[in-house]
Amino acid sequence: MEKLIEILEGLNPDVDYANTKDLVDGHYLDSLTILSLVSEIEDEFDVEIPTIEIVPNNFNSVESLWKLITKLQKDE
Amino acid sequence: MSYLSNTYLFLILPFIVVVYSIFLKKYRWVCLLVASYAFFFIISGKLLLCLLFTTIHCFLYGLVIKKYDADCALEQEKKDIDKKEVKQKFKLKKKRVLVISILIQVAILFAYKYMPFFLGNINSIFAWFGSDYQFKISKIIAPIGLSFYTLEALSYMIDVFTGKIEAETKVYKLALFLSFFPQTMEGPIARYDKDSSLFEGNNITYKNLCFGLQRMVWGSFKKIVIADRLNPIVKCVFATGSSYSGFVVLFGAISYTIMLYMEFSGTMDVIIGSAEIFGVKLPENFRQPFFSKNISEFWARWHITLGAWFKDYIFYPVSLAKKMKSLTVKARHKLGNHFGPLLTGSIALSAVWLLNGLWHGAGWNYIFFGVYHLFLIILGNLFEPYMKKLSDKFHIDRTKKLYRAFQFVKLFLLVVIGELFFRAVTLSDGFRLFFSIFKGFTLKNVFDGTLMNLGLDGYDFVVLGISILVVFVMSLLKEKDIDVREKVSNMNIVARWILYLSLIMFVVIFGAYGPGYQAIDPIYANY
Repeated sequence: MEKLIEILEGLNPDVDYANTKDLVDGHYLDSLTILSLVSEIEDEFDVEIPTIEIVPNNFNSVESLWKLITKLQKDE
Repeated sequence: MSYLSNTYLFLILPFIVVVYSIFLKKYRWVCLLVASYAFFFIISGKLLLCLLFTTIHCFLYGLVIKKYDADCALEQEKKDIDKKEVKQKFKLKKKRVLVISILIQVAILFAYKYMPFFLGNINSIFAWFGSDYQFKISKIIAPIGLSFYTLEALSYMIDVFTGKIEAETKVYKLALFLSFFPQTMEGPIARYDKDSSLFEGNNITYKNLCFGLQRMVWGSFKKIVIADRLNPIVKCVFATGSSYSGFVVLFGAISYTIMLYMEFSGTMDVIIGSAEIFGVKLPENFRQPFFSKNISEFWARWHITLGAWFKDYIFYPVSLAKKMKSLTVKARHKLGNHFGPLLTGSIALSAVWLLNGLWHGAGWNYIFFGVYHLFLIILGNLFEPYMKKLSDKFHIDRTKKLYRAFQFVKLFLLVVIGELFFRAVTLSDGFRLFFSIFKGFTLKNVFDGTLMNLGLDGYDFVVLGISILVVFVMSLLKEKDIDVREKVSNMNIVARWILYLSLIMFVVIFGAYGPGYQAIDPIYANY
């Protein structure tokens, strides 16, 4: 999870990732940032995020993102 | 017919509400489906067959995909078989069906909506090369709401393919989803959900009725008091724009932007309110777009369901395609975390905005409208790191009210320019109007009576000023997460009804109808 927060801070350091639960709905992560985030996550955690999983619910908080990553790692 | 016509508000909707409540709960879908098809027939006549074809097509497509999934699972159960290979084989089969189905739907849309534009351009090219041959272009009348239900049908097909949703086995559910009468003309563009409140046959409760009517009155206020009142100015300026001074043209363009917002968001309130009466929750299409920080955010808050459709079915699939992903990785390593993804994202954004422009209409001005926003979004992203550095250097707090006010004015003007091209009859008209803003621009026109020659008098301007201020304050409260609707519903019954009746009376007394006014035709129903 720390690595994930590190990636997010690298993309936008002005957000309090520990407490923000509306990263997409609150416009902290826009579509282009999500592109970077997806490729960073895929590189770092060796998973492939299908477009079907790119929904606000999965990207709104660090916890939901982490849940998605662990789910994808299990599926691989 | 518009959703704000007397026929809809005082005849069709109340009649459906009464018949619906008489039906038994489990058969209420029949009432809604018959009502929706009858409504579609009233607005589009025999073109109802197009909707019927799309519905049956979606249904059969779903069954084929379902069968492939079942066959795949069956084959995977066999011994000594490479499961991955079987999955891949069936995925390819499904993909073929999906591609053909998408092509069929796009072909229908193209034939009805884009054929005259396409042939017109071919004819121009022929003429350019000196050929006498010209295609005959006949005027085609498209089914109302074709662009809306086609996008809904495509989202259903893609979602079934990706496994996001299961294929629907009850054709009536699909038929109702694609034809539901409050949203058939202007959206919002919904996604299929088999557990949607649309199929539940909810009772018409006092709360739903009050909330629905309340929202409809609010929408009527925006449309009848503000949008319809601005119509004469817009018609006047856009018809003879370049003969006016720059200030008047800008005033006309600003009026059009406000009119478009009030018309579309007001109609959306009536649509969502109508559905709410039946206990059906439709997706929201607006979220105070003018309070956005930039154009990109603006489009995430204006016509939300269209933007979300393009994001989910064009932007991400294009930018996250295997080749694009590897390009992103390479670009990221060479250009960094910001500019790398921006490069590949811009390719996907180009597709999105070209299609977004075309979706709004078959004309070069619409294509320009798309390209204009693409340009603003890319430029905004390109300069964002520098703007941040600059504001840090000069200690500008971008969260402060003064900076937010500057952002508001900047965004508003950028939107006004875009909408000017959107409203113009042709692209050259758009440029003519745009450049005439800079011709003889003088603020003297505010006081010298010029504005009184645009079809409105002092009384109209006062009503407009107060009404726009009311909408602004309500939007500001919503932006601050203050739920006015909930607060009103918590008021005691006397105060609540005094408020409801006051708003209704305000619409009745100050509505722009009768001699001297002309209600706007539903703008988005043509898309």
